[in-house]
Amino acid sequence: MRQVRLPQTLADLWSLLNKDPTALIFSGGTDLFVKMRADKVAASTMIGLERLAALRDIREDNGDIRIGACATHENILRHPLIAAHLPVLVQALRTLGSPPIRTMGTIGGNICTASPAGDTLPPLYVLRAEVEIASSKGSRSVPIPDFIAGPGQIRLAAGEIVTGVRVKKPAEFNLHHFEKVGQRKSMSCAVAGMAALLRVTPSGAIEACRLAWGSVGPTVMTDAGIENFLTGKILSPDTLSAAARQVTRMVMPIDDVRATADYRRTVSGNLLLRLSGMENPTIELKRQSPSEGM
Amino acid sequence: MNIRFTLNGKAMDLDAAADRRVVDLLREDLGLTGAKEGCGAGECGTCSILVDGEHRLSCLMIAAQLSGRDVVTIEGLSEKDRLHPLQESFIRHGAVQCGFCTPGMIIGAAALLKRNPQPSREEIREGLAGNLCRCTGYQKIVDAVEAALLPEEKL
Amino acid sequence: MDIQIPEIGKSFARPDAAAKVTGAEKYAVDYYGDHLLWAGVRRAEVAHGRIRNLDTSAAARLPGVMAVLTGRDVPGANRQGIVHKDQPVLATDKVRYSGDAVALVLAENRETLKQAIDLIEVDIETLPGVFTVDEALKPDAPVLHEEHPGGNVLLKAEIKAGKGESALKDCHILIEETFDVPMQAHAFLETENGIAWQEADGRVVLIASTQAPFRDKWEISHALGLGMDRMRVISPYLGGAFGGKDGATVQCFLVLAALHAGGRPVKMWWNREENFAAGYKRHAAHMRYRLGANSDGTLQALHCRLYYNTGAYAHLGGEVMALGMEHAGGPYRIPHTLIEGWCVYTNNPIAGAMRGFGVAQVSFAIEQMMDLLAAKLNINPLALRKKNALRRGDQNTSGVTMTQSTGIGDCLAALAENPLWLKRNDWKQAAGPFKKRGVGVSAVFNAMGYGRGLPDSAIAKIELTEGGRIRVYNGVTDMGQGNATAFVQIAGQILCQENTRIELVQPDTDRTLPSGSSSAGRTTYTYGNALIKASESLRRKIIGRAALMLLADTLDHLELLPGRVRDLQSGREIPLEMIGSMMAAEDRICISQFLMPVVRDKLDTGKGFIIGFPHLIFSYAAHLACIEVDELTGAVEVKNYAAATEAGRVLNPQTFTQQVQGAIAQGIGYALYEEIKMEQGRLLTPDFTTYHIPGAMDVPEISSQIVETWEPSGPYGMKGVGEVGSNGPLPAIANALADACGIRLTCSPLKQERVLEALSQSRREGGS
Ligand SMILES: Cc1cc2nc3c(=O)[nH]c(=O)nc-3n(C[C@H](O)[C@H](O)[C@H](O)COP(=O)(O)OP(=O)(O)OC[C@H]3O[C@@H](n4cnc5c(N)ncnc54)[C@H](O)[C@@H]3O)c2cc1C
Ligand code: FES
Ligand code: FES
Repeated sequence: MRQVRLPQTLADLWSLLNKDPTALIFSGGTDLFVKMRADKVAASTMIGLERLAALRDIREDNGDIRIGACATHENILRHPLIAAHLPVLVQALRTLGSPPIRTMGTIGGNICTASPAGDTLPPLYVLRAEVEIASSKGSRSVPIPDFIAGPGQIRLAAGEIVTGVRVKKPAEFNLHHFEKVGQRKSMSCAVAGMAALLRVTPSGAIEACRLAWGSVGPTVMTDAGIENFLTGKILSPDTLSAAARQVTRMVMPIDDVRATADYRRTVSGNLLLRLSGMENPTIELKRQSPSEGM
Repeated sequence: MNIRFTLNGKAMDLDAAADRRVVDLLREDLGLTGAKEGCGAGECGTCSILVDGEHRLSCLMIAAQLSGRDVVTIEGLSEKDRLHPLQESFIRHGAVQCGFCTPGMIIGAAALLKRNPQPSREEIREGLAGNLCRCTGYQKIVDAVEAALLPEEKL
Repeated sequence: MDIQIPEIGKSFARPDAAAKVTGAEKYAVDYYGDHLLWAGVRRAEVAHGRIRNLDTSAAARLPGVMAVLTGRDVPGANRQGIVHKDQPVLATDKVRYSGDAVALVLAENRETLKQAIDLIEVDIETLPGVFTVDEALKPDAPVLHEEHPGGNVLLKAEIKAGKGESALKDCHILIEETFDVPMQAHAFLETENGIAWQEADGRVVLIASTQAPFRDKWEISHALGLGMDRMRVISPYLGGAFGGKDGATVQCFLVLAALHAGGRPVKMWWNREENFAAGYKRHAAHMRYRLGANSDGTLQALHCRLYYNTGAYAHLGGEVMALGMEHAGGPYRIPHTLIEGWCVYTNNPIAGAMRGFGVAQVSFAIEQMMDLLAAKLNINPLALRKKNALRRGDQNTSGVTMTQSTGIGDCLAALAENPLWLKRNDWKQAAGPFKKRGVGVSAVFNAMGYGRGLPDSAIAKIELTEGGRIRVYNGVTDMGQGNATAFVQIAGQILCQENTRIELVQPDTDRTLPSGSSSAGRTTYTYGNALIKASESLRRKIIGRAALMLLADTLDHLELLPGRVRDLQSGREIPLEMIGSMMAAEDRICISQFLMPVVRDKLDTGKGFIIGFPHLIFSYAAHLACIEVDELTGAVEVKNYAAATEAGRVLNPQTFTQQVQGAIAQGIGYALYEEIKMEQGRLLTPDFTTYHIPGAMDVPEISSQIVETWEPSGPYGMKGVGEVGSNGPLPAIANALADACGIRLTCSPLKQERVLEALSQSRREGGS
């Protein structure tokens, strides 16, 4: 039998972690308990973060949006602040798992799992999210690409936890888009996914853009060259096709049971073409009214 | 470890291994076999329970997490002789075939109606996306949920 | 529950629904028992090999382990199998697939069980394996069953009608194509499980999630050398089965374990991974078709070569293939046929019965052949099907005269009037950017019952209890299809009693009578027919005995009414409670047997079949799928679906529609993504994370239209409806895909990756 601790305060958490820095941390448990069942992890002590109110809140902080690591996907999805400012994240969360998985799973857990297929990651990359990290000794924050080192690998020292993520309101973008390709419509691990933030003028010119792909490389894939290529051009099928060809060269997918690398490569490019149907971005923003969501 | 929580309206005070899976605790230790285990990995929803009114999977929870919570299983959804409206509706609309998914499905539907008392058929399908059923093709389940308008006090 | 007198033909809620919605229903898996032991097996995890050494000593020494048993501890033949006894309970010399069991462990709890299983050391000399039909049929291929005279060919059979394939050369039009379908998992939600214990008198009681409790007894007896009178098998309601619990899963293990458990109950419950690793599957198949027709579209000749990959053991493989062969030509008149079948052993999981038993595979082939022909002739695919549809009195592709109800023509006619069909062009035009829409149809059928050579029998038993209630002793498992519901309806209608007065006893070899397996769309038909006779006798009996108590000197005026018998002339009544308490125990019971009719034609069309060829009675359906294809991802979404189904008269529209909708949902999974993937005998899709079945968002609204006919041999004119719906979705969706974007996939599932590849290929070739 393992010890299970559910600290109520950060002070309790730090003292538990100081006593046993190798303790297994869990939040919603939707990743960790599945791995434990498959005997992929072992530990004598487990520390659950679910009772730490300080890690759950979602709020505005100095004009930024800060999401606590233990905010569940469902909480985030239905939070007015997120709906108003981060439609790209909302779109991604809607495709994550299923209602009970979203009720249990947390954003901190999704980040720390660092799966190439983690659905919150492409949106967090295009939002240039900062990961907040703390330990008994203090806190720090790092840009998400620096935090995630590889598939399942994060840069977190013993005794540290992730306390939240912080993003700047992406006010300069008027088109938020996320698409995930899975085998079925829900409960499907992404075969490929793309998050996009664009500023498009009424005449269709792309003034700014950020793009990120999931499931097609060891971590989320981004490419400044492609973003630069698109910037200043008209959002047209031709432009997007040209960019899509670059995407297929940029991504580094692998074959697995869900799809071949070739398919992932082609689809990564194709996902960009979807944007060509979206010249009227204000509608896109309006569609994400706070009252929506399930 | 000593765990105190509310289970189907009753105060519980029991000793259990802190890391015992809740689905085993319910089924084996407490004899509440309404929650099933169809996968043990979060994929099927047959083990669904309500924890503080939210839809959770008892195969991905451990006993310690129950402490202080209000837990409702399918056995606790109906009141004595009166079935929950969803249960009535599932019977009437033929939403039950082998019935193995049914307890989890009804728990999932109860949680959905709590979040959204007037879901569209599309929203019902989205809301039940975590509960697999291999028998019905879902249509009669959607019919049943659609028809189960909950009385005010249940909301 | 609403109180009502059940009526045939009206929707009637399941008697089991109330217990199921409250979580009170006890499935096999819900039994635990005091001082429970857990049983589990160590599996080979090698696809083909010879056991050199098996060391169980470390496992046996582990505290909390009650026993570790190997093949040497099996007292009987250590062989199981429904038709061929070729599968060991615990392998002793050879292993033939990675799921073969080599040792059985009994432990105090699940943790100890798992540890003990891991401690068993199996030393297996790996042998080269065969995984595809091609590999298995090579002349120098490694052989799985050295003692089997056919080598790796479990069964080779042939159907030849008319002039056979030679008629192809006279046809104006010839279509040739090859098709492949993968293995499919049943994916019922209650995985294989049971519990067993030995009674004080030494008898073993087994409660198991099984479709065939009576056959199990026979199998256990043979494998373990235990007298049939030494055991009792009980089959409660199942949490789904679809064919996957028709045959040995946990039964022999549990009875063997119970014999070593000192009277303690032993539970075995396969987890989902074990269900994938060792559960039965739908056969993968490779199918070569040549279809000939006249220039007006009249079908003339068909030649098929069908290869069914049956995995490591026979199970029902030969019979599955046989049924596939019988349906290979579709529900059509084709005067000249040659249908050849090879059922082939490979080092894969065992393929066996699954809803649409062998037929789902060939439906994919013949129904695409029909569309290819329609395209070539430039006729509407529905019209081509109608033109060739079997009518009563025609001979089918096996040469059997269709003497029974034959409603495929009516199903097709119904579909032709469906708005989804009539307005298909407008609907297709309305596709959004990067989307293509298509509409496809299929015509399918499915035989009912065991066929020639195996008596399809049921023995119904019904009782007026001492307390005046009606008790139906159901001998065929209800795995969710609702046959038990039909039995309450039948008894209720004949005996004019309210549903609340009717009790059901689920299959129990001590209490109910042998009524065959819950399979082949036969449960309601065969047992229902027997139950009609038994209920009618009970009715006469109750009235006869009431006469004694009412002092009536003629039965003419006595009427059986809810809860009582009334003398209509005198107005005097006597409650059933009183009649029941008056009657002697043996007098309160009526028993009746029914045997399904078989083909009477003297036929010489089939060669090589062991049992089960041919069949006489079929159910029919015409399906229509409206799909949308995403050109960027290749994803296919089924947007609308319609089915017109003929299965004789409908006893209960609600359960009928449940069967249709459920089968279609499974069929959509089979069409779009369900596929057991293997690599050298190793599972690549070992769980629900990698093997996806459709969720609520993946299945469209399904419009199910009932096309009623009257099947003269059926109870109240009904036929089985459980299976036919499984056969339609894959071909209808494949045809819709061709309609949408001009690509024809002959290899299923029609997964997004394949579709995208085909789209880009057709673009490269300058297609649409
Ligand atoms: C059926 C099913 C479907 C799923 N579908 C999807 C899907 O579609 N898309 C997707 O992206 N994911 C999916 N997941 C994975 C999972 O649900 C998500 O990744 C979820 O966000 C994980 O959150 P959690 O709180 O449950 O993590 P946990 O399991 O609690 O933790 C995961 C890992 O992160 C660590 N960790 C958690 N919180 C912290 C913290 N604050 N600081 C440091 N370390 C921490 C843990 O130690 C552990 O290693 C699915 C899972 C299941 C079971
Ligand atoms: S058993 Fe919990 S989700 Fe399947
Ligand atoms: S009714 Fe059988 S799984 Fe849903």
